[in-house]
Amino acid sequence: MALQTPTSHEQEWREDLRKVGFVRRLLAGRRWYGTDWWLVAISAVMVLGFITLALFPSVFAPYSPDEQAGPRFLAPGASPDLPVLVSLATSGITELADLAVPTGEPRPSVGVVRGVPTAQALNDRAQELNQELNGTGMELRPRIARFDSLDELLRAVDDGTVVAAVVQSTEFEQLAGDFPTVGEGMSIAGGVSSEGGFILGTNQIGQDVFSRLIWGTRIALLIGFSASIIALVVGVPLGLLAGFTGGMLDRILSVIMDSLYAFPGLILAISITAVLGPSVLNVIVAIAVLYIPTYYRIVRGQTLSVKEELYIEAARSIGARSSEILRKYIYPNVIPSVAIIFSVNVADAILTGAGLSFLGLGLPPDTADWGIDLARGQGFIQNAWWLITFPGFAIMLVVLAFTMMGEGLMEIFNPKLRQR
Amino acid sequence: MEDILYSVRDLNVRYATRSGDVHAVDDVSLDIRRGEILGLVGESGCGKSTFGKAIMRMIRTPGRIDSGELWFDGADLMTYSGRQMQSVRGGEIGMVFQDPMTSLNPVQRVSEHLTETIRTHEPKVSELAATARAEELVEKLGIRRERLDDYPHQLSGGMRQRVMISLALALRAKLVIADEPTTSLDVIVEAKFLDLLRELRDEFDLTILMITHNIGVVAEVADRVAVMYAGRMAEIGDVYGVFAEPKHPYTVGLLNSVPNIDLDAHDLYKMEGAPPNLLSPPSGCPFHPRCPKAMDICAVEIPVLHEVVPGQATACWLYDEVGVAGG
Repeated sequence: MALQTPTSHEQEWREDLRKVGFVRRLLAGRRWYGTDWWLVAISAVMVLGFITLALFPSVFAPYSPDEQAGPRFLAPGASPDLPVLVSLATSGITELADLAVPTGEPRPSVGVVRGVPTAQALNDRAQELNQELNGTGMELRPRIARFDSLDELLRAVDDGTVVAAVVQSTEFEQLAGDFPTVGEGMSIAGGVSSEGGFILGTNQIGQDVFSRLIWGTRIALLIGFSASIIALVVGVPLGLLAGFTGGMLDRILSVIMDSLYAFPGLILAISITAVLGPSVLNVIVAIAVLYIPTYYRIVRGQTLSVKEELYIEAARSIGARSSEILRKYIYPNVIPSVAIIFSVNVADAILTGAGLSFLGLGLPPDTADWGIDLARGQGFIQNAWWLITFPGFAIMLVVLAFTMMGEGLMEIFNPKLRQR
Repeated sequence: MEDILYSVRDLNVRYATRSGDVHAVDDVSLDIRRGEILGLVGESGCGKSTFGKAIMRMIRTPGRIDSGELWFDGADLMTYSGRQMQSVRGGEIGMVFQDPMTSLNPVQRVSEHLTETIRTHEPKVSELAATARAEELVEKLGIRRERLDDYPHQLSGGMRQRVMISLALALRAKLVIADEPTTSLDVIVEAKFLDLLRELRDEFDLTILMITHNIGVVAEVADRVAVMYAGRMAEIGDVYGVFAEPKHPYTVGLLNSVPNIDLDAHDLYKMEGAPPNLLSPPSGCPFHPRCPKAMDICAVEIPVLHEVVPGQATACWLYDEVGVAGG
């Protein structure tokens, strides 16, 4: 009896073996053959994160990528330097429109600091608002009082000499502590908030770098995935066919693929996009052409070796047709290596895509794309380091995530490759 | 007259190589009787595996069947189209390969192997019915039906070989060609496997062509034995007759080369020379350079296979007079 009931340990082990699948391999990989499973885990989280960003950029991005959301060249985290309206906190005046008075009544006096362009901004904005008020019996024509220093101006606000003042927000914030009674109102530069909130700063046309980064994920992954999928869809069947049939077809295909492969990648992509013209689709096609030989070569090689396996001959001996052998015997035995290449290939394609748009080829110039941001930002590297740093990091992270996942998966599915 | 299932007449198989044609099977004629186990023995490279493949017309380029007739159950297989041959393979003739470790598709479950075989040949059978048949079959072969859901790597060598047999039996093949089926099995599994073969032969009315270099296996299971040398048939006959009284000097040498526990190490017979290069086989009898009893005629003319005692034929000039006198 004791012989017939396996020990609980053995039972457990058998159970384990039965259920073994992808997830278990991931988790047990470390115990089984010492893979660095955490590499896969980290990269998988990163990849999933990037995919989420790419799918729902509007959820994560505070601004639209093309919107001029703030002042130009705002450093990461810094508040924009805008002319803002300040007044006594008790006065209830928060925006310029509050200063409108019925026609004929005394015009309110608004203070500015001499030599600072706030006066001009105030004038422009007041005239604009005045136009709108035309005919309502109200007017907005503040009397401008000039002061020599901000300190003096704020004191005037404090003691009621002027109703309000227009000051540069950054300068005001430095002195705000000394004048607790003076409150900061709205910016007078219409529509643009004086709040901070550009965590990665703004670029040379006032777009939010962070939002462009997030929207750029979409285009990067779109190019990476589509190009790799097209290359896979074309390269794998060609490789299977060439490897399986051999002969003249194999020769011809191999010569074509080898010459494509031998050509420097980026140059080939550049020439293809130059011929096709700028559009996302053309970039995808150009990069796909670049990677077809990778799949072709791997699949052809694998097919050649699998073709000689005994089980192929055995399949023939049970009367399997060639098409069946290709579909059910060779293809499933070849495809695992393709999955691994795919992951690494996506990373490569993203890099190439960024390279192309950096060179100004391929994508329309207004696209939110990391390569384009890099290219545009490089001119301002001396005073706006954030313009190229963050897109650069984004490219690096995405490529790292996909490469790490590919390498990790390769190790888990093909432990023999690991060098001890 | 015995009931002949498969009749091979003057089969020639050549492999094209850079340095010329290799004559792997040279004018071989052989009758396989219905219901027998025929052992085909010979050294490595003597063409026995090629012969086995040729019977199924599975020779692939650069090889080709040069000439010869293949009569299977009254039909001339040489006239069959590729599509027709596909239905013969697996359907009528099954094959069991040398290495069970690699002869199953690693990414297919055992059940898929079986149901696919059944449904390839009988497309009308439903997946469910095919699975039921597969279960019945493997249980008969001593594999629990739960194991059908396993992948080949989860099975032992003996089990895999039984799966291979079940593939051949799935469609009630009349003839099973077993190409060194026990080479990679240990002796205990081998013995069980041979028992199984015999049982299956009786139960399914199978005919088995057992290709092997293991004389012991042939002695164990075969009814008749055919000895090949350098692509030619050297001797064929009843197992008891051939093993008790081998006629061809090559068969004598082959049998003497089988290790025996009673012998001292230096008593073990080692045949002189090496098998001939099939690119340029020796003139006359291919065995004459190694033959201890070679005569002048051996180097000149190729001996014909003829019956020297009832139920035992050999291709050797030694028995020519006997043959003539007897005939």
